[in-house]
Amino acid sequence: MSAVITRRTVLAAGTASLLAAPWVARAQANTLRIGMQSILSGPIALLGTSSRNALMMEQDRINAAGGFLGRQIEIVYRDSKGQPQEAARIARELVNSSGCELLIDAEASSASFAVQEVVRSLDVACIHTNSETSSLTADPKIRAPTAFRVARQGVHDAVAGSIYLAEYASAKKLNKWATCSPDYAYGRDTTAQYLQFFKQFKPDLEVITEAWPKLGQPDFTEVITKLIQAKPQALFTLLYAGDLSAFVNQGNIYALFAQMAVATPNVDYPVLAAIKNLPAGIQSATRYLETFPDTPANKEWGQAYFKKWNERPTNWSWQNTVAMQFYEQAIKKANALDGKALAAALSGMRIYTPFGVDGTITMRDDHTTIGYAIGWGQTIPKEPFIVDVKAADWGKIIELETEWKKQQRYI
Amino acid sequence: MKGNRRSGTRETAIAAVALLIVLVVPFVHRSPAFEDFVIRLSSMALFATSLNLLVGNTGMVSFGHGMFYGLGAYAFALMMQMTELSLPVAAMLAVLFTTVAALCVGAICVRLSTDYFAFITLAFQMLIYSVIISWQSLTGGDQGLRGGLPRREIFGFDLASQLHLYQCCAVVAVLGLLALRHISASPFGQTLRMIRDNESRTGFLGVVLWRARLWAFTIAGGFAGLGGVLAALFVSGAYPELADWPNSGQAIFAVMLGGINSFLGPVLGAAILLALNDAVARVTEYQGLVLGIVILIFALGLRRGVLDFLRVAWSKDSQ
Repeated sequence: MSAVITRRTVLAAGTASLLAAPWVARAQANTLRIGMQSILSGPIALLGTSSRNALMMEQDRINAAGGFLGRQIEIVYRDSKGQPQEAARIARELVNSSGCELLIDAEASSASFAVQEVVRSLDVACIHTNSETSSLTADPKIRAPTAFRVARQGVHDAVAGSIYLAEYASAKKLNKWATCSPDYAYGRDTTAQYLQFFKQFKPDLEVITEAWPKLGQPDFTEVITKLIQAKPQALFTLLYAGDLSAFVNQGNIYALFAQMAVATPNVDYPVLAAIKNLPAGIQSATRYLETFPDTPANKEWGQAYFKKWNERPTNWSWQNTVAMQFYEQAIKKANALDGKALAAALSGMRIYTPFGVDGTITMRDDHTTIGYAIGWGQTIPKEPFIVDVKAADWGKIIELETEWKKQQRYI
Repeated sequence: MKGNRRSGTRETAIAAVALLIVLVVPFVHRSPAFEDFVIRLSSMALFATSLNLLVGNTGMVSFGHGMFYGLGAYAFALMMQMTELSLPVAAMLAVLFTTVAALCVGAICVRLSTDYFAFITLAFQMLIYSVIISWQSLTGGDQGLRGGLPRREIFGFDLASQLHLYQCCAVVAVLGLLALRHISASPFGQTLRMIRDNESRTGFLGVVLWRARLWAFTIAGGFAGLGGVLAALFVSGAYPELADWPNSGQAIFAVMLGGINSFLGPVLGAAILLALNDAVARVTEYQGLVLGIVILIFALGLRRGVLDFLRVAWSKDSQ
């Protein structure tokens, strides 16, 4: 046989290599894809973009350290617009056609419940990073074997907030309270939950008026005048994001903050940035604060985020970061990527992270995190914006959470 | 009549062949993405085609058709969660419930002329949507019905399995579309088209206009409810967005994209809309912008739906 390479051979070889190219490329790249879905457009796109920013930083960090199981990772981002039906479709699509082997569900509550059902049927590992609705993991009927939550949980915040506010109200002799929360399930349920615990710690508490503005309401005049006319000693509000900054800005015009004490658990850096004159002395929880926990690691992460994105991180940013840290540890421990193995590794896992109140966060057996930083302090108009932060007592939080779970017949 | 019967047999044969192809595909090549697409298309096709019974056949533009889709989904999901009924019984009862709801809403709406009819259907949809949002103890409010659907087996099929759900949805959709086709081709369907073309003349012929319209509205509502049942199966729950007005808008888009004068137009429109949505969602976050441009191209460029456009082009060529 002659060793002459004919034109035909070249053509055949060329065609064969062209056909094989994608498979070869895939085998060489061998990238591990992680699906992330969230609200990336519309009025609360901040939920998704600040989550995505944090995940992009984590991707760089993890890849620089060698990836997961020796494979570089690539996070695939999808916008669900917060619609549950679309969220369910995207979760399936990420796994079934985009080849994602792990999921980060950065959806708000209702869509995360839709994703939960998809995860249940696909058996893939999923971490919910933004849904704070307690029942997602607390209710054994809703909890899914391979789905976990790395985020604040409504009931934890309610217990911690109520204990702090009860002490504050007793010290300042504030008995007559008003509430002002968004008029939908989150606002109504969570206000009721806060009040339930609040009354438990301060039985002489009296709620003299309630205001329920609509989500995204541009003009709060009627709400503000109603609150001022009722003459409460203090106001509790669950307004958040753009609604909260609009409320504070408009409340300033009516000198609302001089007429009553105000408490809110929902102050985040972007809200602070959008408020023109932040009144001093608002009792506020820390959703994310560079100075709480006051450790070099936390400050360093906050500064790195600010440097990269030219804006400050949100509560959602740290939650997504911690989710990747949990994946990292669990994959190392399980030495596998399948849902069951990772679920076994994640249950009960404790990791070192800057966002834990004692430098660690634990994934409890009921698939939700504990030990993350919850603190309450008071606002000042300039950096660091919230001072005198008191850390919540996790022993007390878990004790009351267990009581609440029994009431709900979850345990 | 004979011609009718013959075309009826032909359509049944076409439906059987289409169903056979769809059912055979997974045995040749399993593609979860394709199967998900068909499941969603089944639901959307029934929804859009039932709307076209009103828009294309009767000339009644309903902006509130999504309420029946949402009601079907909620009725079915609630029955699955709260009762011990088997899946087929719950599905049938959900369709029945939606049909009765459509009869009640229709009784008030159908006597109104076109613009007012469109407005009042939209108003009813907003009413139903508000009830779903406010009745938290039953519907879960804006969080939707959570906790999944239990007992999803039906005659040995486990609908929690994607393949079985795919097969079930394909069969239900083809049978549903065939039924709608028969209704549309029947003398009753002819009467509806007569009303659309000239209602005064139809009235003079002795047809009681409001009764025929009410029937059409009720039947369309029932089939939209069936679409809602499939949607609830796909998302394992029910969410207020299913009953919200943008969902009605989706059905209207599907009808306009596919063509109002062809029976399969809305099915094609639904397929285009879903495929576009999936493709665009992969590439950009500006989905609304891209979809809007595509719809503008269809509206200004083709000036009718795809199937209608092709039919007109075809008949011009053959002349």
